[in-house]
Amino acid sequence: MKKWLSMFFAVALLAASVTGCSSPAPTTEAPEGSEAPADGKYKVAYVARAQADSFAAWLANAVKEESEKYDNMTVDIFDGQASDDTENSLIENAIANKYDLIIIQPNNGEAQRPYAEKAIAAGIKVITTNARISGIEGASSVDADPYKQAQVNAELAVEKVPQNANVVILKGPPGNFHADERYKSWQKEFFEKRPDVTIVGEEIANWNKDEAMTYMETWMQANKKIDAIISMNDNMAAGALEAVKDKPEFAEIQAYGVDGTAEACLLIKDGKMTSTSLQSAYDLATALMDTSNKLLTGEETQIDMDIDCPLITPDNVDQYIEMHKKAGAIN
Amino acid sequence: MSNKAKGKINPDMLSKYGIYLVLLVLFVVSWMANENFMTKSNLTNVSVQIAVGTILAFGQTILIISGMLDLSSASVLALAGVLSISAYLSTGSLIIGFLVAILVSVACNVLNGLMVTKFKTPPFIATLAMMTMARGAALLYTKGQNIYQIKDYTIFGQGNLMGIPIPIIFLVLTLIITWYILNHTVFGRSIYAIGGNEEAANASGINVDRVKMKAFIFNGILVGLAGVIFMSRVNGGLPNGAVGYEFKALTAAVIGGTSFSGGVGTAFGTLAGAFIVGFLDNIMVMVGLDSYLQQIVRGAIIALAVIYDIWSKSKGKSKKLIMVEETKEKVS
Repeated sequence: MKKWLSMFFAVALLAASVTGCSSPAPTTEAPEGSEAPADGKYKVAYVARAQADSFAAWLANAVKEESEKYDNMTVDIFDGQASDDTENSLIENAIANKYDLIIIQPNNGEAQRPYAEKAIAAGIKVITTNARISGIEGASSVDADPYKQAQVNAELAVEKVPQNANVVILKGPPGNFHADERYKSWQKEFFEKRPDVTIVGEEIANWNKDEAMTYMETWMQANKKIDAIISMNDNMAAGALEAVKDKPEFAEIQAYGVDGTAEACLLIKDGKMTSTSLQSAYDLATALMDTSNKLLTGEETQIDMDIDCPLITPDNVDQYIEMHKKAGAIN
Repeated sequence: MSNKAKGKINPDMLSKYGIYLVLLVLFVVSWMANENFMTKSNLTNVSVQIAVGTILAFGQTILIISGMLDLSSASVLALAGVLSISAYLSTGSLIIGFLVAILVSVACNVLNGLMVTKFKTPPFIATLAMMTMARGAALLYTKGQNIYQIKDYTIFGQGNLMGIPIPIIFLVLTLIITWYILNHTVFGRSIYAIGGNEEAANASGINVDRVKMKAFIFNGILVGLAGVIFMSRVNGGLPNGAVGYEFKALTAAVIGGTSFSGGVGTAFGTLAGAFIVGFLDNIMVMVGLDSYLQQIVRGAIIALAVIYDIWSKSKGKSKKLIMVEETKEKVS
């Protein structure tokens, strides 16, 4: 049924994109490496993992905004609906529609790899992002390093988490590259260095605030003492902190996340959350459009880069709150 | 619960109270498994946690009894919830926020009802379409981003009234209303009649389309209320929140003895079903069972509970017969 649904939407999306793009582009037959597109603008397809995923949606919005700064490109956004099937057919459609460049935000890197390769074979430039699919001959990539994102938090936690602490862990969906790498990083950079710490709860909350909240409520029933919440993203950390709210016995609890969402910045400002690291959709979008521009104009042929992941703590949170205010996420 | 006259213990008692027995066994096992299970604060905790899913399940119960179902409830919940928060933030009025949730959800369910009654679309397809549209609308409206800083809106999900958490108060109120509708109103009796045999109900003068539309409207009120509690509890407008809650609700109703063949089901049965799922999830996290293993156990218990329910009902006579009898009782 799910497959049927996603097929339906793939077709619907295809129909929408065809009607949307058909008028200005009378089959732009762009030969490989051409410098100037027929109608003066390069066509870029951005295939998003899932518009229902809040970070993916933030990134897609940021890409769209950033693209408006470039006169030589038009960017069309496609929604992969969190399905490999849908995402792969969207990439095929983009190849068939002769886009000049395809940006792929994979749902599952290995599943999209052959389709990215197919695009390259068709002479289309490819950038993989959030997370990169590494080792594709001729493809470029722009990403944030998930291991490092967790590491900067883990290093702070090594100092701050009290001796013999009880901690709980909130994990992302299994098999997700960022979820797995962040978890691996916490294991190596924190738990191996702090053998005194006990894990009293560990659950998969699928990046979701409501699921994390429910788990935390139950952990608080089973454990009188929990010293820290270690979460693979901010959304789940915020959910757990929601459960802790107004419970005096857990007032001192520490919480670590990743992403630097507006909500996490406010929680850090209020002294409820300890730290997070920024995975800035704006920085990714800026880097993506800059890379696209360089590849399309032939200035460079291949780029692999990582954006920074600065640690956000009460000391520097104000500048990030300012960033979110400017973007209109909070007021 | 209408025929108290039959006082025998077996097999009628088994069939009627089988699900409560399952709940009791789960309760005792959990109590032995963890000392923190049977505390006032944990029982309150679980009751608050199941409130949203159970309120949705009451709506599903009424729809399933009348031979329908609602796949759109979780998506409509999200749409109603984000619009409600947005209305509250722009007007500053909790009442307006609350009413917007109910109105949006009822409107979506009127559309469900129209598709089913006027265009004779199967409820499965009609509500599947609504599920996708409502989720899309919620994401479109918020651009896929959570709404933060919802201020006093959190009272509906996090507040207390005389020491009782407000979600529990809503849960009890909706339980009583659902029970009353099913057992003491013409509307309730018509629902059982339509689910038991639609043509017979029609022939006996029941306006089937009108009853179905009313069932959807009632479901809409419950879904809107659930949306308010959900968003308030998580302190944010989450357009992609509550994914999968429609199945949570269907599961509670079915474990509670509501039959997909229509005509059978009770409000208290559904509540018991919701508690079985809620306590099970609770105890598995408490004892720290592996997350993958939890999914297997959850599925197995659902299967076992329903098999036991059907088995206990079929003792002595066939399930179909019981359903026909129960339907007759409800209608008469």
